[in-house]
Parts: sequence; C-alpha cells; structure tokens
Amino acid sequence: MTGYALIIPELLLLAGALWALFAELLPGKDRGAAWIGAALSLAAGVLVALQGVGGQGPFGDLLAFDGSARAARIAVAFLTTAWLLWTAERGEGRIREAVSLAMFAALGAMLMSEARELMTLVMAVELATIPAYVLMGYRRANIRSLEGALKYFLLSMLTSLVMFYGFSFVYGLSGTTRYAGLDLSGAGSLGLLAVLLAAVGMFSKLSAAPFHFWAPDAYEGADAWAVAFVSTVPKVAGAVALVRLLAAIAPGIASVGTVVLVVSVVSMLLGNLGALTQGDVRRLMAYSGVAHTGYLLLGASTLAAAGFSSAVFYALAYAAPSLGVMLVAAEVGPGLADFDGLAKHRPATAWAVVVLLFSLIGIPPLVGFFGKLNLFTAALAGGSTASIVAVIIAVVMSVVSAGYYLRIVRAMFFGEPAEQPAAAASPIASLALTLCVLAVIAAGLGAGVVLGSLGTLAL
Amino acid sequence: MLTLIVFLPLVGAILCAVVPKSQPTWPRWIAGIIAAVDLALVGWVITQFSRDGGLQFVEKFAWVPMANINYHLALDGLSLPMLFLSALLTLLAVIASWKLENKPAFYFAMLMLLQVGMNGVFLAMDFILFYVFWELVLVPMYFLIAQWGGERRQYAAMKFFLYTLLGSVFMLVGIIALYLKTNSFDIVWLQANAPALVPAGLQWWLFLAFFLGFAVKVPMWPLHTWLPDAHVEAPTAASVLLAGVLLKMGTYGFMRVSLPILPQAYLQWRGAIGILAAIAIVYGAAVAFAQTDLKKLVAYSSVSHMGFAMLGIAAGTAAGLDGAVAVNFSHGLTTGMLFFMVGMVYDRAHTREISKLSGLAGQMPVIAGLMAFASFASMGLPALSGFVGEFLSLLGAWQAWAGTPMQWAVAASSLGVLFGAAYMLWMLQRVVLGQPSYAIADLPDASLRDIVVIAPLVLLTVAVGVNWSLLLGYVDPAVRVLGKAVGI
Repeated sequence: MTGYALIIPELLLLAGALWALFAELLPGKDRGAAWIGAALSLAAGVLVALQGVGGQGPFGDLLAFDGSARAARIAVAFLTTAWLLWTAERGEGRIREAVSLAMFAALGAMLMSEARELMTLVMAVELATIPAYVLMGYRRANIRSLEGALKYFLLSMLTSLVMFYGFSFVYGLSGTTRYAGLDLSGAGSLGLLAVLLAAVGMFSKLSAAPFHFWAPDAYEGADAWAVAFVSTVPKVAGAVALVRLLAAIAPGIASVGTVVLVVSVVSMLLGNLGALTQGDVRRLMAYSGVAHTGYLLLGASTLAAAGFSSAVFYALAYAAPSLGVMLVAAEVGPGLADFDGLAKHRPATAWAVVVLLFSLIGIPPLVGFFGKLNLFTAALAGGSTASIVAVIIAVVMSVVSAGYYLRIVRAMFFGEPAEQPAAAASPIASLALTLCVLAVIAAGLGAGVVLGSLGTLAL
Repeated sequence: MLTLIVFLPLVGAILCAVVPKSQPTWPRWIAGIIAAVDLALVGWVITQFSRDGGLQFVEKFAWVPMANINYHLALDGLSLPMLFLSALLTLLAVIASWKLENKPAFYFAMLMLLQVGMNGVFLAMDFILFYVFWELVLVPMYFLIAQWGGERRQYAAMKFFLYTLLGSVFMLVGIIALYLKTNSFDIVWLQANAPALVPAGLQWWLFLAFFLGFAVKVPMWPLHTWLPDAHVEAPTAASVLLAGVLLKMGTYGFMRVSLPILPQAYLQWRGAIGILAAIAIVYGAAVAFAQTDLKKLVAYSSVSHMGFAMLGIAAGTAAGLDGAVAVNFSHGLTTGMLFFMVGMVYDRAHTREISKLSGLAGQMPVIAGLMAFASFASMGLPALSGFVGEFLSLLGAWQAWAGTPMQWAVAASSLGVLFGAAYMLWMLQRVVLGQPSYAIADLPDASLRDIVVIAPLVLLTVAVGVNWSLLLGYVDPAVRVLGKAVGI
C-alpha cells in the first residue's frame, strides 16, 4: 500500500473531528458526534491493524509506517475509541468540543508516532498538544482547572520552543530535516547541545522529571475524564516520537544515553515517592505517570534497538490501565475517599481496577510485567554499572509503587462506603473499562506477539 | 495432566466468583469438590511416578518464542512432596473454612487462586512461568489477610505484600541477568549448562539476587519480620497455607534454582547460609519462648523449623538435602496441624492469649490430645515425621562441616531441637494442663469436621515418621541428581 491509502485512518479521525466541530448543525447533536467519533476511530484502528507494515506515504515519504508506528496508531485509535464511548454515555453538557479536540489530538498523536522529519514532528506535536491544553481547562468556571491548564500551556509552550531551538541547531549541523540524514554523532559538543535541547521538549511532553511540575497541578485541576485522555494518548505517541528521534540523531553519542538515564532515574524516584502521599487519584496518577515515563526512558537510554522497542512496548502497556483507572475515577470521583467501598456496590468495576493496578505494579502475567521485563532486560544487556544501578532503583521503586496502588485497592475493598453510593455503572462505560482490562490481559499473555510486531524503527 | 492440576483451581476460582449471591453455600461446595479432584489427580500422578530422579510428565511448548520463553511444566522428586502438600492443605483449608459466612464467594475464590499459584510454582520449569506463579500467590494472600484477618489486618497484608514483592523483584533481576548471559529461561537447560557458561564472579551476584527472593519467602533471619505479623493477622486457613506451603516455595527455590544452576556461588555462600540458618533456629526458638500469643508462638517456631531446612540445604550433602525436603514436608503437616488447632481454640474461646487458656484437657479432651500430638510432632519426636527431617539435616550438616569452625554453628543448631521441645512442652503445660480457665468454660469439644481436617495430617505424620522411605523414596533419587550437580 502506498500514498494516501496509508493515511486513511488519520483521515477518518479528521472527519470525526470535523463532524464534532459542526455537530450543532448535524443530526445527533452532542452525543451523536461522540458515537460517530467512536465508530470512526474504531474503524481507523481496525484499518491500521489490517494495513501491515511498510510502504511510502504521501507528501514525499515524510512519514514512517513501521511496526512501532503501527502499534502506536492502533493503541491511539483504540484508546480514543474507549474514551469516546465513555464520553458518549457519561459526558455532561457540551461534549462536542471535547470530542472534536480529542480527535484532533488523536490525529496529532498518530502523526507524531510516524514523523520522520523535523517539521512534520513539530506540526504533529503541536496538533497533539494544543487540543490537550483546552481539554485540561474544559471547566471554564473552575479557577483551579484554569490554573492547571495555564501552567500546562505555558510550560509546554516554553519547552516546545526550546525543542524547536534545538531542532534549528540540528538542521544547521546536518543540513537536512529528514531523519535519515540527521546523525549528529560526529558533530561534537554543539551536536550534543542540539540533541539535549531537542530532548528537553520531548521530556516535558512526556512529563519526565525535572519537567514534571505541571503534571500534578494540571491533572488535579482538570476533570478526571480529560486527564484520562491527556495522560495516555499523547504519551504513547510521545514515546515513539522520542525513541525515533533519538535513534535518528544520537545513535552513537554515549553521553546522550547518560543524560536520558539520569532523567529516567530522577523521574522514577520523584514520581514514585511523590505519589506515595497523594490523596487525590488524579495527582496520584500524575506522579505515577512521571514514574512510568522514567521506566520507559530506562529503555530509551540504551540507545539500542531492543531498548527502543521495549520503551515503546512499555508506553503501550502503561496507557491502557491508566486510561481505565482514570475513567473509573471520572465516574466515582477523584478523591481516594471516593473509592471507599467501591467493591461493595460495584464489585465488577472494583475487580477491573484491581487488574489494571496490578498491571501497573507489574504483577505477571499482566502486560505491565512484560513491559518491565523487557525494559530491564534491555537495560541490563548494556552491562554498564550505571544501568545496573538504575535497574535496581527501578525494581525497588516498583515495590514502592505497589505501596500506593494498593492504597486504592484497600480503599475499594476495605474502606467504609460513603452514605451515597457512587453512580451506578452504565453499560457502555463498562464496555470501555472492559476493553482496557481485556487489553491488559491479552497483551500480557501475548506479549511475544506484540513485541515481535514492533520490529525496528524506520528512520 | 500437570496443566490440569495447575489450572483446575482457576476454573474453581472463576466459578466461585460468578455464583449468585443468593447461594452462599455454593462456593464452598465448588471449592471443596475442585480441591478434592485436584488432590485425586495429584494422587494419580504419585502412583504413576517413577523413582528415578528424572523429570516426568513434561509439558512444553513455546510461549514467547523470540525471548525463548516456554510454557514448561514437569515434576520430579523435589516437586512431588510439595505439590502433594499444596493439594492436601488446600482441601483441608477449604473444609476447615466450611462455615465461613463473611463473603464466602470471594474467600473460596481466593483460596482457589492461591492454589493455582502454589501448584504452579512447584511445577514450572521455565523461569518466567515460575515467576508468574511466584507473584500470583501474593494477590490472593493479600486479600485473604486483608479481608478476613485480625485487627491489624490491613497493616499485615500490606507488609506481607511489599516485603515479599521486594524480595522477588531482586529475583527477577537475577533471572534477567542469567538470561542475558545464557539466552535461556529454561530451568532444566540451565541446570545442565549454566554452571559452565556463567563465570564465578557473576554467579556470586546472581546467587545474591536469588537469595533475596528465596530467603524472604523462607523466611530466613533477619528477613523474617513480615512473618509473625502476617500469621497473627491471617485467618486460620491462610495461616495454614502460608506456613504449610508458601514458606516452602523459598526452600524449594534454593534447591530447584540456586544450587544446581549456580553451584560455584553456592559453595561460596553455603557457610553464610549455614550460619544464618543456625541463628534462625536458635533465635526463632528463643523468641517463641517469650510469646504470650499462641499463634505467634507457632509463627516463631516456623522461623526456627525452616532454619533446619536451610541448614540441610547449606550442608549440601545427600543427607542434608533429604533432610531439607523432609523438614519442608513435615513442617507443612505439623504446622498445618498447629495452626488448625490454634484456630479451633480461637473459634471457641475467642482468645489466643496463653495466660487466659488453661486446662484444655479437662474441657475439650480431643482437642487437647490433638494439640499435644501436633506439638510432639513439631518438636521432632522419633517415630513422628518431624524427627526425620531434623535428624537428617543435622546429620548432613555435621558430615559437611565436622572439624571446621562451622561445627559450632551445627552444634548450636542441635540445641535448637532442645529449645523446640522446651517451649512446646511449656506451652502444653500452660494450655492443656491445669484447671480449665474461665475463657474455655462450657465450650464444645472437636466436631466431626475438625477431626476430618486433622486426621489426614495425623496419619501422614505417623506414617512418614515410622517409615521414612515413604517420603524419601521419592525424594532421594532427585536429591542424588542434585548432589551430583553441586558436587559435594
């Protein structure tokens, strides 16, 4: 397959986004737009799955259609589907803008995972993140929501600019914006500076420490359903974009690997320790998201093919459970206390959350375990003392993470339920949650298939 | 066949979970029948088992081909007694919890899930599969303690989960490092090839990583602090399975993994393990002396008894390893009995304070008699199963270390036998003898169900104690193979 046929899935998302934008004039209104969006993104996901790997896209080969891009596109499509299903059923008020924004962001995320040219990446990143700012500040009347969104917007813009500044160095040094010719390993310290400036932007998009400050505040201010989207879909794409960029510009620069490793360790420590004391599930998940970014950077820091694919796999393994947990938080309420006694009136939901959380901890045979297994294998394969230490920190920190995830389990099973039981489950929202749980189990048992399909990155 | 044995309880767990709430008696029947069938299957396997020390009933196919991960189950003389123990104690635990009223579906589902993990650990011959089952047991045990435990159950469950998870993630690092060196997760292949492939320096580190995983589980002093908390808070059935089976996963791991795969490192480490084991024996016994809570006393006695198993493993001679397996098996029986007994007393008197209980013999002669029997078995009286293991462990350790400074550690360990007898007898004197206390006045004696639970354990204890070859006939050939691998 070549040409425009390859980007039909993206075009489907675009159609869905446009439909939602004009939903007022179209049949079905708000909810209709969400349903149509869900159907279109489901179709997009199925189409990507059928497409196979390889082929030259439109616009002069600016996009890569390799295994990693394919996996990320499928994940983005299905996560978006699950999210839209939930929104169609449970969303309140004017949801059409939210649907439209989410689908634009999903489109950007797909392109981000494919980009193999700097300007394409820039546009994809902006397309994926600008709608996210708006989603995070969706509750206009709420001052905290606006504050969080503003923080997110300013920091994200700033780091975008730093990244573009870095890109300009990269372009200046290599004379091209295409990944295939970007190798800066011979460019000395200026090359290193360029790579670092570019990486800072990506780190911030992934909320890696020390650029993670915005995340807890922004997540806490926003609605949980918005967080569910913003903390998962762009992150999957961001992971692929980051490793593709690193693979292109820094294949032989060991000091870049060291920097990534340091960021990884700091993220794991700050994220996990920060999450321990949180009483708000959104903040808790924000910190734990920082930690999970730290884990995936551990794979990226190897600057080797196995490490890159393990990082992508880990991002996929993180996204599904995280989305599911946040959707439940959106239903029952974001406070840890809101989860109290959930097992009593909604046992199925509580068990679903248990499965998702155990996957995040890394209990086998769920996908999170295989994610960590691959990462640690890749990191230890390098054999350097620094990466061995990093792996040991990572395993200790995963035990710490069990500590705070179990607090949620404990609240659900052993907390005293509130007087007013949480809202009853709705069938479609449960379907979205079920999808996440099935993905976690199936991808765990079939980890070999998923990992094998990632292949090596096309530059 | 082995797959059926491992995953049949999973079917049971799912069935228990989906039965309607209006039928609270169904889960116990489901669990009981499934556990009985599982035990019957294990019994059938035992009749088909050939005592040649090799792996049998092998089931193997590729799971994650690109990483060389296989689904690989098999059975030998080291696994067989443990598998039997797991199947038997699960069934007895189900029977003992028959009248449970607090969320029976959840409870029996968790017991069944626990059995999946326990059976799996003893049969898995692939490291990743082994680790899957190893971690799987944490989840149901966490819920069993946290939902049906005593007053500080939340704390105890969390401590149990995090403590043992911490140990096992280090084991995971060891597994990965071993894989990177040998490109294999296959335990059988590694036993044959790893000693030559892995340099001694790396072996030392790998041994440490595995040691952390296994030693926490055993638990070896000083990594034992989760155990008393978990035991005291856990419900009776969970205590029985925790002490009777879960602790054995640690010693089993040493014999299945650390010794044959990392023999050079083992030779460097065994002295240290022997000393830690001797400390555990004496320390556990000494602390048991000081307990005022019956259950805590039994918990600390476990620390001491598992020390004998570790001593046998550290010795590494055929006698020592035979002894280690025998201690494992016998401790599963005797500690199972003791925890069941404590549970029966607690269910009636609602206290486990030794000072509040006395004169059981007058009020409930059957329970008192069984308790005395269990205590005698636990202190290792000849003709009961406990004696076999402790005797062989000490003998093996003496063979290995006589004439070296280590012999003092062995001598100290044999003092542990004496202490064991002493604290058990003292406990019996305070609890069983004397005038019946206020707390146990007018309480009923053992019911038929209680006797059904205890009887198989009593019979096995006597049978193994009188005729050692009943157990060692299965174990010894496998131990010879293991001994050859280590070269002691």
